[in-house]
Amino acid sequence: MNRSERNTSRIKLGFAAFCLSWVLLALPAVAADNIPYGFDSGGEKIFTRYNETPFSAMSGTDGRRNLNSFYELRQYPGSPPRIPHKVFPSFSGEQADCIACHGRGGYDVEQDTYVPVTPHPENELCYQCHVPKLTDELFVGTNWLSIPPPKLGNSQLGGSPPPIPHSLQLRGDCIACHTGSGAVAGIRVDHGSRGNCRQCHVEFLATEPALEFTRNK
Amino acid sequence: MKIDRRSFIKSAAATSAVATATSLFPGISFASWKQLEGATGMIRWEKAPCRFCGTGCGVLVGVSGDRAVAVKGDPACSVNKGLCCVKGYHSVQALYGKDRLTKAQVRKNGKMVEVPIQEALDIIAAKMKETIDKHGKDSVAMYGSGQWTIPDGYVASKLFKGCIGTNNVEANARLCMASAVTGFLTSFGVDEPMGCYEDIDYANVFITWGNNMAEMHPVLFSRMLAQRKRRNDVTIIDFATRTTRTSQASDKSILFKPQTDLAVANAICYEIIRNDWVNWDFVNKHVSFHKGKTNIGYGLEDKFKFKDKAEGIDFEQFKTFLKDYTPEKVEKMSGVPARDIRYLASLYGDPTKKVTSFWCMGMNQHTRGTWINNLVYNIHLLVGKISTPGNSPFSLTGQPSACGTVREVGTLTHKLPHGVVMKPKARELAEKIWELPAGSIDPKPTYHTVAMFRALDRGDIRFMWIQVTNPMVTMPKLKRYRDGALKEDRFIVVSDVYPTPTTDVADVILPAAMWVEQEGMFGNSERRTQHFDEIVPPPGEAMSDTWQIIEVARRLGFEKQFPWSQEEYIGKIWEEYRRFHDSPKHNMAPYKVLKARSGVQWPFVNGKETRWRFNAKHDPACTSGEDFHFYGKKDNRAWIWARPYEPAAESPDQEYNFWLNTGRVIEHWHTGSMTRRVPVLHNAMPSAYVEINPEDAADMGIVNGEMIKIISRRGEVTMPASINGRGVPTRGQVFVPFFDEKYLINEVTLDAFCPISKQPDYKKCAVKLEKA
Ligand code: SF4
Repeated sequence: MNRSERNTSRIKLGFAAFCLSWVLLALPAVAADNIPYGFDSGGEKIFTRYNETPFSAMSGTDGRRNLNSFYELRQYPGSPPRIPHKVFPSFSGEQADCIACHGRGGYDVEQDTYVPVTPHPENELCYQCHVPKLTDELFVGTNWLSIPPPKLGNSQLGGSPPPIPHSLQLRGDCIACHTGSGAVAGIRVDHGSRGNCRQCHVEFLATEPALEFTRNK
Repeated sequence: MKIDRRSFIKSAAATSAVATATSLFPGISFASWKQLEGATGMIRWEKAPCRFCGTGCGVLVGVSGDRAVAVKGDPACSVNKGLCCVKGYHSVQALYGKDRLTKAQVRKNGKMVEVPIQEALDIIAAKMKETIDKHGKDSVAMYGSGQWTIPDGYVASKLFKGCIGTNNVEANARLCMASAVTGFLTSFGVDEPMGCYEDIDYANVFITWGNNMAEMHPVLFSRMLAQRKRRNDVTIIDFATRTTRTSQASDKSILFKPQTDLAVANAICYEIIRNDWVNWDFVNKHVSFHKGKTNIGYGLEDKFKFKDKAEGIDFEQFKTFLKDYTPEKVEKMSGVPARDIRYLASLYGDPTKKVTSFWCMGMNQHTRGTWINNLVYNIHLLVGKISTPGNSPFSLTGQPSACGTVREVGTLTHKLPHGVVMKPKARELAEKIWELPAGSIDPKPTYHTVAMFRALDRGDIRFMWIQVTNPMVTMPKLKRYRDGALKEDRFIVVSDVYPTPTTDVADVILPAAMWVEQEGMFGNSERRTQHFDEIVPPPGEAMSDTWQIIEVARRLGFEKQFPWSQEEYIGKIWEEYRRFHDSPKHNMAPYKVLKARSGVQWPFVNGKETRWRFNAKHDPACTSGEDFHFYGKKDNRAWIWARPYEPAAESPDQEYNFWLNTGRVIEHWHTGSMTRRVPVLHNAMPSAYVEINPEDAADMGIVNGEMIKIISRRGEVTMPASINGRGVPTRGQVFVPFFDEKYLINEVTLDAFCPISKQPDYKKCAVKLEKA
């Protein structure tokens, strides 16, 4: 894109935003009366649906899934998270087909939130590692301590692509956790369409010391 | 402080990212767990086998400073290839319960008081000496566990069997694997599976016999599911008395009435012969037929004795024996439709299909446990589906080292690290390696576990040392054995990591090092020996069970047999122990190799592991020149046994009208003394319950969560009902998990056992239910 093209596209974008803001202001007023049913491919239905969905839910920033709630479900960085919602008591069989929701994600009406996607759908025996919480009480207290979760960012140069801070074991599907409305906002990327993530992001585990290069003479 | 440009940019970027995240969600502190102060965030990963089940997954324990802070599956371990279950992933948290035992305690005037551990060890040694002087050597006993490390069990055997000269050494594996052992010995003459977990990658048909693998061996079960997904020729059949997660994930669930697995196994053989699916070439070359005694009893009375006698029969006699087990007749006994029996037989009989059978406690905790093990081998032997990749009758183990420590080291009353005490040659070898005078080892076995606790109750045993197990939760007909342990003039030493109902009856409590707080080895279900280092230091005065025994042995004057230093004792013990298994049938890997790898299978011969025993292509101990060589038996053949159906020791009647079945759940390990201290596991499964069939519940007007009294002829216990919960028993049956010390289900169970293996049946007794 050369400079003039870039300018044009900026102008277009600005114009679009300008129009949209008018639409937002104008529509509630316009939609009120005398619009024939089915007008503009059922535009009213589309608008109502849009209008009823809170901005935070649409943008995935309703605060219900953030890094804190993400780690809240874990015992140490990388532990299998607990299940934060109710599951069918036997937690097996059809009613608890976890993959039905967590395989592809999407909006779940019951929980009123976007569903996080599992990075390892090939493992079908979900309850092998993930369990719900039936009580908050402990049998006896614990002295458990662990290390802090990896810091975000960690770019080696200003603006350089940050390295991958966690191991890829069972978490090798970047798209599952880092894109889409179900992803935790703090670690969601806006350029998921670029594909090949590891073209720019490489493993540099927060738990492993940095290796110095030495020549093998 | 001088900051160069590069690190400035780096730290600025990091802070700004965190700042952005926190400004999006104000008031949030990241991570709910308490953080290790001053932790660098760096982790050192050390290999170990998982602490819990007999699957024996390889884990990598993440260490920061001197604390274990994380776990991941060990990708280098062929058992689990990097995946664990929820217990494995949270296993390290079991080290850090608030009430960890860190000091020795001694009962003084009825109260437990803390003392320095050396003083407690003095007291133990003095008490042992006094008891032996007063009541003879057979009045002191050691009761250990399949969670003992191999060195733990080895020094226990050396001290008690060798130095003291009593065969009073038993382990809780008697309650868990004894029928598997006698099954192997009677059918093949040597213990432990011929196959290995790799069978899962080749089999087309999996049949789980009374085995809820999805919860008890989850990592192996998920390996099966993954194979089913990858290949389109895999079928999983669950054959059980109760609908479980395993039934739900399998392609077909077949339910049978308790105890009738004996009849169904015979009916499968009947069908195989009727359809001539017998692999004659294999049978003619490698199999011989036998029968044993019948009406063999249940061991309910004190000093019960039984000895089986094998008698050779021919194929025709075997065929005649099977006439009582036509599918139609067996349908009446078992409730399994004849067509399902035929279907099972056709799976075993189809020459194009590789079949693996899995089982564990359902077949072992059985008053005819040895028989049902024999019967499933019969099926595999008739069709020659054994000892080849994918064709595998596979007896799974419950505990992480039931194989390694109890079965291989031989911490059972009749066993030595090699052979049995009754055999002069075996005693001579042990006396030679242990540098003891000839005749030190007693040629007569004393008590198996149930008999040992009965002897404690009667007063024939006065001193018992219990390590790494919790019998005051797990013994059947618990009250008798708890009362026995509490009697005047009984002295109980308990080595453990947390307070339990067993430490409650102790006169001395020794704080033990747990799992990776000590160096040691486990041995899993597939003959794999797994070494682990001391990865984190034990807390307070906690000491490894091995070292506790060594300390006491030295106090008793056996310095010569226990000369090792604390720096190198594990390696030295391993190399001494290895001398017992110096043959291609059982060679163990050297210490160096064990240290380097994530588990090594035995027989380890000329640097190679043996994956399929008795198969000449894989097993260097085969010397017959044939494809297979069953060298365990004198006739060089595997034995098919004619074993009939006989009823359970106690079946439901008019008054006690329900079967009681007991077992585990995925979240908890055995009695929960470790896993209940892991927040995730306790939160997910906080309390035991009694599962009732929904129709039975409706008949009795019982609703979910209602308190129900379970009553047997031995005792009673009251707990909440679970209807359509984790599992659903068939009508007329209830199920209770045994992990919860608040609801001691073993007050109710029966101490009947298999007369051959002496393993009690925790799966069948009669109870009645009342609303509490
Ligand atoms: S399957 Fe067994 S060995 Fe594997 S992680 Fe779970 S408890 Fe541990």
